[in-house]
Amino acid sequence: MSDHLEDNLRTTLGHAAEHAPRAPGALSAHVAARSRRRRARAQTLLAAAAVMLVAGGAGIAVRGIADGPVTPAAGPFPAPGSGSASGAPSPSGEPVVPDPVEKVWPEAVWKIPAKLSDGREFQPQAFIDDRTLLLETSEGFEKADAIYSYDLVEHRVHKIADIGTPKGVFASGYTVGNGLIVWQTIDEADGDESTAPRTTEFWSVPVEGGRPTAIRTDRPLRGGADKLTVTGDRLAFSLERGGVFTVPLGGGTVEPVPGADNHHILRWPWVGTPGRHPRDGATAFGELVNVENGDVDEAVVRPGERDVRCGVTACVGTRPDGGSAFFRLRDGSRERDIPGGGEPPAGLVADRLHTVRLPVPPGGQYLHDLVTGRSGDLGIRPDAKGQSVSVEPGIGDGRLVSYPLKGEYVIIDLARIAAESPAGTS
Amino acid sequence: MDDDSRFEDFVAERADALLRYGYVLSGNPHDAADLTQEALIRLHRAWPRVRRKHEPESYVRTTMARLHVSVWRLRRRERLVWDPPEGSHLDALPSGIEQELWRTLGTLPRKQRAVLVLRYYEQLTDEEIAGVLGVSRGTVRSHASLGLGRLRSAVPDPAGPGPEDPAGPGAPNPTATGGRTR
Repeated sequence: MSDHLEDNLRTTLGHAAEHAPRAPGALSAHVAARSRRRRARAQTLLAAAAVMLVAGGAGIAVRGIADGPVTPAAGPFPAPGSGSASGAPSPSGEPVVPDPVEKVWPEAVWKIPAKLSDGREFQPQAFIDDRTLLLETSEGFEKADAIYSYDLVEHRVHKIADIGTPKGVFASGYTVGNGLIVWQTIDEADGDESTAPRTTEFWSVPVEGGRPTAIRTDRPLRGGADKLTVTGDRLAFSLERGGVFTVPLGGGTVEPVPGADNHHILRWPWVGTPGRHPRDGATAFGELVNVENGDVDEAVVRPGERDVRCGVTACVGTRPDGGSAFFRLRDGSRERDIPGGGEPPAGLVADRLHTVRLPVPPGGQYLHDLVTGRSGDLGIRPDAKGQSVSVEPGIGDGRLVSYPLKGEYVIIDLARIAAESPAGTS
Repeated sequence: MDDDSRFEDFVAERADALLRYGYVLSGNPHDAADLTQEALIRLHRAWPRVRRKHEPESYVRTTMARLHVSVWRLRRRERLVWDPPEGSHLDALPSGIEQELWRTLGTLPRKQRAVLVLRYYEQLTDEEIAGVLGVSRGTVRSHASLGLGRLRSAVPDPAGPGPEDPAGPGAPNPTATGGRTR
């Protein structure tokens, strides 16, 4: 039954609505700008995590199959030794899944419980040394509260420091050097770069533990850093928008690195431009500068090549036909095919390691060493919703790959794998 | 026409109507602007998918209703891209009854208010309201009944059921100024 109250309510709401504020003319542009900034920030966070959730692995499988039978483990460089034992195609010609990483590189892979003994979850951040991991715990989403060291041999956990940050302030960029753990905290302000830019502070704490100390800078730092590296008694960092700087670890004057105005740290002393995630199809780290001796190197890129990503000595990318991917030296020489059916290679660590999506099962990934030709299955499979984690090696300290798998964390030390000689002897 | 210009057109055509909806949902100009801005940012991110399904308007209105009843605005509030005017427009409502109803709406729990706005401003059925808020139809009915009860006790019908138009002049058709004006 409709009564007077309901009628009154309708008219009241209708009349009241006429007193709503009017939209400003530029609302659409402002909204679009906010949306893009938010997307960029989300991508930064995902990239920093080095592991992200992807959906729709099925599309990848279709592509892999359409490109013909794939024998991922064999790779383009069959190792002279017995390195790629798992790589032979089956008699039916079906793709063969490589052996698990822990079997292929047992000296470089660990599996540790995904929670601390008190039940808290953590994120591995970096290697402190050859047997010790740096872990970060959070009290909530993106809200780090403490860092720990984890001894991979004796499975001992040791708290290094509490690093609780205020709401809206995020810790990231962990790096280790000179006996210190160093990281940044980014104050997101209100998320609007035009009115209140983000500001960054640096912190350090001795590896053995203690109270975090701010690395004071002579001026506020606008924007976040995309990479931190300890070099001697200085902290070197590059900003997300480009530009390389150093500051004494004890705090002091921030000094720009000459000739690196738009550059990003790749692997000290190499800095390059554009950075890891270039726009408009540019070549990641196409131009490199050695900031210690001034050497400059321009990578060779041929017309039509896409998704070219370079390291210090080599590049990977997709050929103009889109159906095949290559690996070659920066000067364009010694070009060879790499597996993946033209999928843009993810990551290029130590100029030789990258991940490849498994055509079957969809959502899987394997790690491939371009020098020895060996491959190891990361063990990642999609869940019931078709989602799976995606690993991009080379983020963070450039050495650690970690991802959750069946209640454990898989820890891979890429430096140990890259120490293998081409003969495949390990 | 590319996606960006389609989005611009949508905002240019619909922003004022969305602000009106945000205003009756929240009861004040700042929250109206906040809800509209946030929902449009989310719409922008989902634009290609939403536009393909020809439903940007319903997407954004559903987002606004859900945002309003969620804890979102309690913990996160971005700076607005513009400053809406301050102030209450209570006095501008044409009758004492409307003023009292508007004031009492401001005292209702968010979900009760949202249900009443969706039912009496958006003219949605209880089933549609259940879909928008992600609750059961029974929950919609109980929120509506509780909300109406509060309003009824705040505004005893002075005339009782009768032929007069209690809304006062200018509102012969209950939906003339309400609902979605497309």
